[in-house]
Amino acid sequence: MTNDRVPPGSVAEKPERPDRVRRSMFVIGCIGIGAATAGFLAATVRFLVPNVLYEPSRRFGIGPPTVFPPGAVTFLPDRRLYVFNGADGFYSISSVCTHLGCNVKRGGPGFECPCHGSQFDENGQVVQGPATKALAWYALSLSPHAQLVVDLDQPVNPEFRLRA
Amino acid sequence: MSQTLWNRTLTWSGAVRRSVSRVGWPATDKDRAAAMISSLFLHIHPARVSRHVLKPAYTCALGLIAGVLFVVLSVTGLALMLYYVPYPPEAYRSMKDLQFVVTFGIVLRNMHRWSAHAMVMVVFLHMCRVFWTGSYKPPREFNWVVGVLLLLLTLGLSFTGYLLPWDQLAFWAITVGTNIAAYAPVVGDQVKFLLLGGHVIGPMTLLRFYVLHCVMLPLAMLLLISLHVWRVRKDGLSGAEVHAPAAEEVAGVFPPSTKTYGLMALSKRPRTSVEARDPNDDVFAWPQLLYRELLVALAVSVALHVVSLVFMAPLEEMADPTRTPNPAKAPWYFLGLQELVHYSALVGGVIVPTLLVLALLVVPYFDRGKAGAGQWFAPERRVANAVFTTLAVIFAGLTIIGTLFRGPNWAWVWPWK
Repeated sequence: MTNDRVPPGSVAEKPERPDRVRRSMFVIGCIGIGAATAGFLAATVRFLVPNVLYEPSRRFGIGPPTVFPPGAVTFLPDRRLYVFNGADGFYSISSVCTHLGCNVKRGGPGFECPCHGSQFDENGQVVQGPATKALAWYALSLSPHAQLVVDLDQPVNPEFRLRA
Repeated sequence: MSQTLWNRTLTWSGAVRRSVSRVGWPATDKDRAAAMISSLFLHIHPARVSRHVLKPAYTCALGLIAGVLFVVLSVTGLALMLYYVPYPPEAYRSMKDLQFVVTFGIVLRNMHRWSAHAMVMVVFLHMCRVFWTGSYKPPREFNWVVGVLLLLLTLGLSFTGYLLPWDQLAFWAITVGTNIAAYAPVVGDQVKFLLLGGHVIGPMTLLRFYVLHCVMLPLAMLLLISLHVWRVRKDGLSGAEVHAPAAEEVAGVFPPSTKTYGLMALSKRPRTSVEARDPNDDVFAWPQLLYRELLVALAVSVALHVVSLVFMAPLEEMADPTRTPNPAKAPWYFLGLQELVHYSALVGGVIVPTLLVLALLVVPYFDRGKAGAGQWFAPERRVANAVFTTLAVIFAGLTIIGTLFRGPNWAWVWPWK
């Protein structure tokens, strides 16, 4: 309680200017603590990003071309993918609605989303909103074992066809 | 000899009791006031409260009910954790166990589910009450901000809890919800990736939502509730100032007081002076406030039990990422958002909610006039109340449309057909 009492005699003394060395050390210390805090926060955010994903592979085989009848559409539910065997080759369109991620279903000439009512044509282009982006097309390739392989990390244009 | 032993035993047991509670069961107003101040659990109340703010028609007890629901949710939630396994597909099986195998498991789950729904509703109504009575006016601006954060936490807790049953309802509601987050500009996709712990909803997502739901968000909530209640305690309930009669009215009956409190010099908060308060205006918090609180808690508890015994919490078939139910709906309190999202995901899912929350956060710093604070629908606050009510009605309307009037492919349906 007596700390704030000024001792007699010291009233008249002028306060000394702060020591420049001590002041600069204080600033350096503050910068150091700030940097350490920023680093700690960055490390925490990085910690939250998983390095290994225990998810299905983004590149996978879906069987030999012969299992897809010509002129027909095959839906692979666990891959969320439509595979077409058209007159000019194979192509695949994602069933993940670009609006909010529901599975689109075959309806009318193209696709319909059950969640928010988006409609797409047979090439996955938007016919009616709320979706604004077309359905994703993914690259198909033929593996050495004559398997069709889809690569979800390789989106392609709607002109894509695989001759097999 | 035996008499002495008996007396010694009495003295000893009395000493034990006093070591626990320093005052006995209080018999007088003074003792009860002392108990309110000295007990950790009671001291969130003042010793005396204005009898005007005790009227049920003023607060509708909504804040208290929200607090009671939080306690019920914590207790039932902790009990459910003893049987719940946060890993698919065991998560879904443990829900089935709670329903069909665990004794009273279904009642606990029902109670947790309905309390969560009730809490969202009650917190929203509490916000409406505080707005309509102008209770966010100075000095209570910041407590309104804390309240808005508590509303967001309530929604966050409901949303993270929604995934845990791992049924179709849960899976697709969270699919829609996290895809809305992905529409946020710049960081949207990263936020979604962090939230899901991957590209798709899977075991990692369930674990993250579980930890958020059971530990992180409840702790944050507890902290903010403490702050919220502490500030109510410090500022007093709103409305007491309005009803405090002017000094001269009182002066004729009571001599002008010269009383001061030692700590008043330290206390910076605005206060009505001791002289201006009519002593007859205040009543002792014990029993007037305390018994009302116990009564409300009892009523809430009874209502929850009845509802939980009659109505079953929904549990659909196990989550199936390959099959979207039609229509796929978010939890009901997000259906207003989903209805907006149906028109545009960016506007409805990101821009409108962000603007709404920002508007709620800053409203006490723009609407600063003190007129009309502390009474329902004060005429001075006609404009503010009209704007707020319009927004609240629009939002409630959208929620009702999304809940009842939307069918397969989100097409319009009439609920009675």
